[in-house]
Amino acid sequence: MTRYVASRLLLALPTLFGIVVLVFLLLHLAPGSPVTAAGGESGRRFSQKAAQEMQRLYGLDRPLPERFAKWISRVVRLDFGESFVDHRPVLERIDEALPYTLLLNGLALLLTLAIAVPMGVLSGGRPEGALDTAAGALLFALYSLPAFWAALLLQSLFSVKLHWLPLYGVASDTAPAGWEGLGDRLAHLALPLVCLTYGSLAFFARLVRASVADVRQADYVIAARARGLSRRQALWRHAFRNALLPLITVLGLVLPGLLSGSVIIEKIFAWPGLGRLYFDSILARDYPVILALSLLGAVATLLLTLAADIAYAAADPRVRDGMVP
Amino acid sequence: MNRRLLGLTIAVCLALACREREPAPRVSLSPPPPTAAPTPLPELGYIDESQMGTPVDGGTLRRRLSGEPATLNAVLQSTLPEQQVLQYVSRNLLDFDSRGQLVAGLAESFETSPDGREYRFTLRPEAVWEDGSPVTAADAVFTIHRIHDPKIPSPVFKQLFEDLVSVEATGPRRFVARFREPYAYRAMSFVFPLLPERRYAGKNFLKAAENRQPFSDGPYRIVSWKAQESIELERNSRYWAARGHFDRVLFRILPEEPVAYNAMMSRDLDETQIDTEGKERFQSSGPAGSCCRLVEYYNLDYNYISLNNRSPFFSDARVRRALTMLLDRGKIVRSIFRGSARVISGPWAPDSPAYDPTVAPLPFDPAQAAALLEAAGWRDTNGNGTRDRGGKEFEFDLLVSAGTTTGREIDEMLSTELARVGVTARVRPLEWASFIERIDAGDFEAASLAWSASDANPDPYPFWHSSQWPPQGLNNEFYKNPEADRLMEEARREADEKKRVAIYHRLHTIFRDDAPAIFVTNSSQKYLISRRVRGLVTSFLGWQGIWPGPIGWWASDGAPPAPAR
Repeated sequence: MTRYVASRLLLALPTLFGIVVLVFLLLHLAPGSPVTAAGGESGRRFSQKAAQEMQRLYGLDRPLPERFAKWISRVVRLDFGESFVDHRPVLERIDEALPYTLLLNGLALLLTLAIAVPMGVLSGGRPEGALDTAAGALLFALYSLPAFWAALLLQSLFSVKLHWLPLYGVASDTAPAGWEGLGDRLAHLALPLVCLTYGSLAFFARLVRASVADVRQADYVIAARARGLSRRQALWRHAFRNALLPLITVLGLVLPGLLSGSVIIEKIFAWPGLGRLYFDSILARDYPVILALSLLGAVATLLLTLAADIAYAAADPRVRDGMVP
Repeated sequence: MNRRLLGLTIAVCLALACREREPAPRVSLSPPPPTAAPTPLPELGYIDESQMGTPVDGGTLRRRLSGEPATLNAVLQSTLPEQQVLQYVSRNLLDFDSRGQLVAGLAESFETSPDGREYRFTLRPEAVWEDGSPVTAADAVFTIHRIHDPKIPSPVFKQLFEDLVSVEATGPRRFVARFREPYAYRAMSFVFPLLPERRYAGKNFLKAAENRQPFSDGPYRIVSWKAQESIELERNSRYWAARGHFDRVLFRILPEEPVAYNAMMSRDLDETQIDTEGKERFQSSGPAGSCCRLVEYYNLDYNYISLNNRSPFFSDARVRRALTMLLDRGKIVRSIFRGSARVISGPWAPDSPAYDPTVAPLPFDPAQAAALLEAAGWRDTNGNGTRDRGGKEFEFDLLVSAGTTTGREIDEMLSTELARVGVTARVRPLEWASFIERIDAGDFEAASLAWSASDANPDPYPFWHSSQWPPQGLNNEFYKNPEADRLMEEARREADEKKRVAIYHRLHTIFRDDAPAIFVTNSSQKYLISRRVRGLVTSFLGWQGIWPGPIGWWASDGAPPAPAR
């Protein structure tokens, strides 16, 4: 087992390096530069003379390999440099936005699973039944609602018309801090949470449904029924447990996504998360911030896939013995 | 898609430049006297509520920012949100009033040398920073040096001081700035804010903490800045002139306009800019719309399609004229702007004094345009449906920033008309940074752009004179006409405003006939404002470009309505 983990870790390193090089190249070879993007569409134009001076200021006049070497040598010391846009340390900017995105996306994932798993198990327990058909239709309808449109519609209804929920933001201007403000903050979470959840329901519910439908006729489920377990017990204790494996694999791939906020939802609900930071940084060609966020995403993806692999190996001896690729 | 330029403008400089030739004239700048309501513009009402009602103090004004400021260092500012916040905390040396006249800011007066190269400023004795220390000449010298420093990106002000020879303090409240050449609009260069030298001493200018917590010499100071959420201001208790009416000003950072619209409807916001679609939505909103009023006015911005005058397609003025005549600008006004726009015939908006209203725009006339293309040698010799000349097909890319729907719609209309006369224009939306990189590099044939003038200077020299071709300047069209060059130079030296305007009017005709670009429309600026907000004054310089602008606003209730949440 130790050997298996060590070999996977060793493999992850060149992958990480590959990702970093690729992102760095893509970024610098793409058209536009921090200078042309300065201030965005409401910014003012520089004459090319002034632009060249700025290029020098940001070190963009140096050859690409030199810039890469410089960046990498700083990154290994965990120094991500400063943002080109506001000249603050990159980590400070990420640190500001990360908790908001983790909170919103984490809760959305929990909520999704809480709804999607029972839905999937019940649908899969009797495929093509009335429940399955209705759930399928509902899920696909939700899946095809564009987030932008749905979010504005929910805002118009619940905030503008009914005044039940706040329009946007993390907390009211006057809300108290600490536990007393909890209700207010939860109210602010409601709409973005709903918007993030409804679209991903379909994915998880259909995944669970497919796995459960697959195993419901398996010998051990039939044996369980024969032992006198109710349909419900057989479904949840035996069919669902085995159907859980593909879900875990998928979660390993989905979890890193917690770090990449949804740009659209964050913009509409004025949620100060990583999605907006990433998006604005790309528009502004804020190389240090883009590189740091890409690196963060890459490391998280590699670590969590690795964790999923290890969990899999622990669960299935065939994997760690190399019998199954 | 703005090409934000250091504009210039309008009716300024009456009292100032006209006297430049007399020995040591002295110009006193006092706050403007209360004015009678000016004549309303024909199309849209010009609002001046500054003398209406008795202002009530108190409450919070909630405004919208469309993006997060990158800095609140007044020298480094470059975007509209930055300008909107800084207007409350950083006073300018001089200011524009709502009609584009220069008025006193931190400076109480200035005088110019007889040769027009030297400007001597005197600061107001009462002007102080938020800790009570005086605003000094040393601060002014420090700020001008920072603007002039090649290592400091100061896109808004850099160009104003490119011609600077020296600047020095001649007393605690006096300084003198010398320039290489006299320039008719020089005084407008001094519409810029000052930074406190002491606070920046020994610090890295680009990274100083003051860039996020600016030291105020204006009516408000920053209380909090929550990244991507909001910026809150409170009154600066040490402010040295008439204080603002609101106790607090809250800027909400709301990137999405439809969301800002919803916020207006639920009375969570007092002001936002809207587009044509938002205006129509508001006008059909019924009772929900009782929250706000629609305020609409023209400023100096305009749309145009930049043509690369060096390209084989557009080096001939007849071809450029033909393209202008193929764009149905009347239809653009009706269908894209729903009537709230004006067709323009030169590189100024109609409210600019440089604009000659007698220079009629070229008509929409496809037949005459086709004849012009024939005359320029563009004929379909190989019968493939596209005109060609010397073996080259008349096919080009029409670039547009992907973020703008207006520019895209204008381009599509032009492309459709061009196809009818045998010219192929492919509309190519590009993401902003890539788009502007190609414009800056001169690597384009035609591109849809918006001009955004932010002050009252109408001088076309930096953008249309042949000495200002890239990489030196911002004449991205590579336009060159010796007669136009000569007139532009002459106007810069002409101290008499009437004569200068006459020169610009002659230039206007040349610009129309040369058509270095397709000048399209000047469209209205539209805002939703809470009904409780009073004291609005609109101006062609926009709210950010004038003093006191939004600082003169007040709330009829003096306190915000009960929060909707």
